[in-house]
Amino acid sequence: MEMAFLSLKERMTIPTYDDPERCTSGRVAIDHERCNGCGNCALICPGACLYVAGVGKDKKAYMIDKPVPDCMSCNDCMAICKRGAIRADVTYDFGGFYKVLHRGELCPPRNF
Amino acid sequence: MTETMDKEIDVQDEDEAQEQKRKLGEMYAWQEGMSWNPVERVILERRSVRKYKDRQVPEKLVRRVLEAGRFAPSAGNSQPWRFVVVRDREMIEEMEKYVRLRCRVLKFLLNWQESPLGRLAWLNSQVSARLIPNLMHPIPFGAISLIADGKLKLFHGAPTVILILMDRRGAAKPAVDVGICGQNMVLAAHSLGLGTCWVGFVEVFKFGTKWKKKLGIEWPYRLVEGIALGYPVGKPDGMIERELREIDWWEDGRKRIVF
Ligand SMILES: Cc1cc2nc3c(=O)[nH]c(=O)nc-3n(C[C@H](O)[C@H](O)[C@H](O)COP(=O)(O)O)c2cc1C
Ligand code: SF4
Ligand code: SF4
Repeated sequence: MEMAFLSLKERMTIPTYDDPERCTSGRVAIDHERCNGCGNCALICPGACLYVAGVGKDKKAYMIDKPVPDCMSCNDCMAICKRGAIRADVTYDFGGFYKVLHRGELCPPRNF
Repeated sequence: MTETMDKEIDVQDEDEAQEQKRKLGEMYAWQEGMSWNPVERVILERRSVRKYKDRQVPEKLVRRVLEAGRFAPSAGNSQPWRFVVVRDREMIEEMEKYVRLRCRVLKFLLNWQESPLGRLAWLNSQVSARLIPNLMHPIPFGAISLIADGKLKLFHGAPTVILILMDRRGAAKPAVDVGICGQNMVLAAHSLGLGTCWVGFVEVFKFGTKWKKKLGIEWPYRLVEGIALGYPVGKPDGMIERELREIDWWEDGRKRIVF
């Protein structure tokens, strides 16, 4: 859990969003055992950060190789993947002025 | 003969009423650990849809969705919204092109990684992030380049678009009212088998004199949001994981933190 606190220095810093040392983008975990390379996730990803590569049985989804991909951890890929092969496992935090406060873990809806 | 038919119809009606009651039985009451009721299901399974079928949505269905917006709560019941419905494919295509062109200009001015302006673009981005930090948040900032490069669409090929204009003279905080109104329509649409996507990038139309006139974006109206509407390709709706957020919970004279 992060500290729910924004220092004055952080508040004054507008990060440059290309340095993974200073900011975290969303990330997905793809289970290649389950993925059949149908490409639905890549088709709808708003950050254009998924693609499918390989042929036949080796056709699988991958996340693009970019220091800071445009993934906003929306999990729309998780929703459209009916094979349960993909989910966002890291949520974004761009730090500085945009540092995310008061965050907890990723979790599905809970029916209390 | 007619009598027996009437009776049969009565029985049918009663059956239907029973069926309706059985369905609604899950509504308006709570029991610990019960499964989701239909309204909760729609709320939790709704996802933004970014791939649509070509098939147009029947006019009546769009009208029905708009009704859900009309009955949204608003501060002082001032209903500070005006809807513009666009179902003309050519017009949607033109809008798409316009926004892409504008995003190319914005990318040129701001994207220091790719713009030939280099450090000047970096300076531009730093200054504008301080002036309009919400619009320059890294996600919309990144989306400008994605749209400019054709990797992200504006309306995602939806055959119907609802634009929501806000009456700037609305009571208290009209932007909040507009958001509530839009989400009413979005949820109604999903419950009727449609897909939707909020489109904040309609903001870009404020740069276009021609579009402002055509869409009626003139005092006292401001275009705040758009909603793409159509039949989704595949099954994009579904429950997912989202981050929990810390909640301050005051009770019995002390504060607890819950998630
Ligand atoms: C006010 C608002 C504006 C949005 N603008 C856009 C947009 O311009 N383009 C887009 O693809 N998605 C847009 N979205 C959709 C969000 O990206 C999406 O709601 C978010 O990632 C959560 O995913 P979900 O809607 O599938 O739960 C917008 C959402 C809201 C609420
Ligand atoms: S939607 Fe699922 S199965 Fe299809 S390519 Fe993406 S991760 Fe693989
Ligand atoms: S979480 Fe959203 S942005 Fe990230 S890869 Fe999945 S669909 Fe794309």
